[in-house]
Amino acid sequence: MTAAALPTDVSDPRRDPAAPPGEAAGGRFPPLLLIGTDFRLSPLALRERVAYEPEAAEDLLVSLLARESVAEASLLSTCNRTELYVLPRRDERPAYRSVLDTAFLPRAPEIEREGRLYVRRDAEAGRHLLRVAAGLESMVLGEPEILGQVRQAHELAEAVGATGAVTRRLLRVAAETGRRARAETAISTGAVSLGYAVVELARNIFSDLSQAGVLVLGAGETARQVVRNLLDRGARRVQVANRGAERARRLAEEHPGIETLPLEARYEALAAAEVVVATTSAGEPLLTVDGMRAALARRRPRPLLAVDLGVPRNVEEAVGRLANVFLHSIDSLDVLIQRNLRRRREEVPRVEEIVEQELARFSAWYRGLAAEPLVARLQKQAEEVRRRELAAALGRFPPETHDDLDRLTRSLVRKILHHPSTRLRGRRAGEGDEIERLDLVRELFHLGEEDDEGGGGTGGGA
Amino acid sequence: MAGAVDAFLAAADLLLPIGYLSAAIAYGVLFFAGHGLARRLSTPLLSGTAALHVTYLVVLTLRYRQFPAVTVSQALSVVALAVALVYLLVEWHGRERSTGLWLVSLVFVFQLLASLLGGEAPPDREIFHSALFASHVSLALLGYAAFVVAAGYGFLFLELYRDLKAGRFSTFYGKLPPLEVLERMMTGALAVGFVALTGAVGLGVFWAERTFPGRWLGDPKILFTLATWALYAVALLLRRTRRWRGRQTALASLAGLAAILFSLLAVNLLFSEFHGAL
Repeated sequence: MTAAALPTDVSDPRRDPAAPPGEAAGGRFPPLLLIGTDFRLSPLALRERVAYEPEAAEDLLVSLLARESVAEASLLSTCNRTELYVLPRRDERPAYRSVLDTAFLPRAPEIEREGRLYVRRDAEAGRHLLRVAAGLESMVLGEPEILGQVRQAHELAEAVGATGAVTRRLLRVAAETGRRARAETAISTGAVSLGYAVVELARNIFSDLSQAGVLVLGAGETARQVVRNLLDRGARRVQVANRGAERARRLAEEHPGIETLPLEARYEALAAAEVVVATTSAGEPLLTVDGMRAALARRRPRPLLAVDLGVPRNVEEAVGRLANVFLHSIDSLDVLIQRNLRRRREEVPRVEEIVEQELARFSAWYRGLAAEPLVARLQKQAEEVRRRELAAALGRFPPETHDDLDRLTRSLVRKILHHPSTRLRGRRAGEGDEIERLDLVRELFHLGEEDDEGGGGTGGGA
Repeated sequence: MAGAVDAFLAAADLLLPIGYLSAAIAYGVLFFAGHGLARRLSTPLLSGTAALHVTYLVVLTLRYRQFPAVTVSQALSVVALAVALVYLLVEWHGRERSTGLWLVSLVFVFQLLASLLGGEAPPDREIFHSALFASHVSLALLGYAAFVVAAGYGFLFLELYRDLKAGRFSTFYGKLPPLEVLERMMTGALAVGFVALTGAVGLGVFWAERTFPGRWLGDPKILFTLATWALYAVALLLRRTRRWRGRQTALASLAGLAAILFSLLAVNLLFSEFHGAL
């Protein structure tokens, strides 16, 4: 196989003068390679073709691992992106070609030619995955589903044995980044979809959604979205009133537990409802102010949230002036969604800070795998054990033997460590299989990670 | 010894409003910015100031050997502490700090007024040492504190109500407990306050009729207290009969707070002490 040239827009950060100084240089980051496409570069029709169902994803990872050029691999495939993270065994060009030939070109031959792929290397690849997990690269900023998808990608790669020390650690760090971003910032808070905006409004009025009766007028796509969001967030008493019984029945089949009723029974149903959502395209208002006034007189004096998502409007505007009735339209929900999006955007710098912290942690872990510092830490640890044990034992021996004991134990430690140290120094970190072995050595001897600034753990050799 | 005690009381008079103001600022930063140092500082600041406040009132009681609610300043101070303690209880119980800014700000206002009006030694009259007086005043101040809490929640209820009604989603939206919870807190506090004030009025009338037969009806303090009691009675009755909903009750709780402040300040300042007409 001939080595293909990498896309020109992907210069090596180690040679790129614009890259942060020293970030990928000097073995600070594994030689990771990311090849992918997302909603920014590819239309839906193309994304659908390169999206992988779990079974196909397993096959793809197995095929990739069978290639000589790939040491580790992981696939993140969602409706908005398909990304492959690989650790090349040696040179990255054959690995790049393998990914292209296996994952993308068979399904979308034009994808490379049309420039719809992006490639990132080393720290940039790692940073990208962390940003994805944090929701910074999502179509809807901060959307929560991506974190679960990153975790699924990890599980899938583990299941087929495609991960190794680097991808396993990176995926763990990515999941942690996503968790922290959502726990420590407001990047995922506030509704940014119509369905969830209804839930958010209801939660600002009622203390317990499970105790609130919900009446949905209409059974179309908007109604489906609203019902799903309400049920997912705790609503238990949901009724759907629709002119056509068949459509309502289908909705009820999708969501067992919801009750259907004819549209004519809507005012009677209001007696038990705290939330009413109108989603039909009826030509005349379904809820008039007179009808509502009469219905409210028959019910407990609790607040009523009325959301009108119908076009044309399903609820007379004057209904909003009734006491204890909170009427919202698509426009007011849009105001709410835009406000929440603005707040999420304000959180981006804080999330980026978390991404950089976690990336630094990953980098520190990787630096700790370099042979020389690892040998130094191994020797330092052995020397500490020798000194401690010797100090504890010296009391049991005559003073004139102490120097001999010191020399003896020092020699013992040096000889025991000589062979493993020589072997470790003789290998090059950064190549797929070697990273796994170095990580194993570190695990076996419980050597910990290097300090963030890279100076720790190297001194004090025996 | 008395000099040191007086020095402590004077220092506390100064420190208490500063402490409550600092706590209110911390809760404010927490409410508007939502994170940072304020998260760690707000509750300890309020708890510390409330602890100092308890000590202050205990020392005041021991210093003058009478229940520390003889002057307007002392009454305001006791109400301030009671509101602070009620808020701390609510925060501890509900793990909810978004209402802190508003209630602690009220605490600060009450304590600031108390400190500004304080400084003079309280009068020493025989009735101030009686258990009946202590019960009467305790109940009245407990009632007032509950009404202050109700007004705090009433204010927040109205803000959120307006936000939700107008769909304008201001700073209050999304940061406060749900409207239903605010209404429940408000009506709960109103009920507690009304029961306490009813007890205080009952004891007060019983005691006044026994001590000053017929004369007590001319005491403006008593008349204003009865008017305040009547205002809350009407509000709770209308709510009970479902003629009033949350919004009207919230407005009534704010009107009640104005009546309490008027009753405590304007009426009492016409006289040198409580029930000065008697």
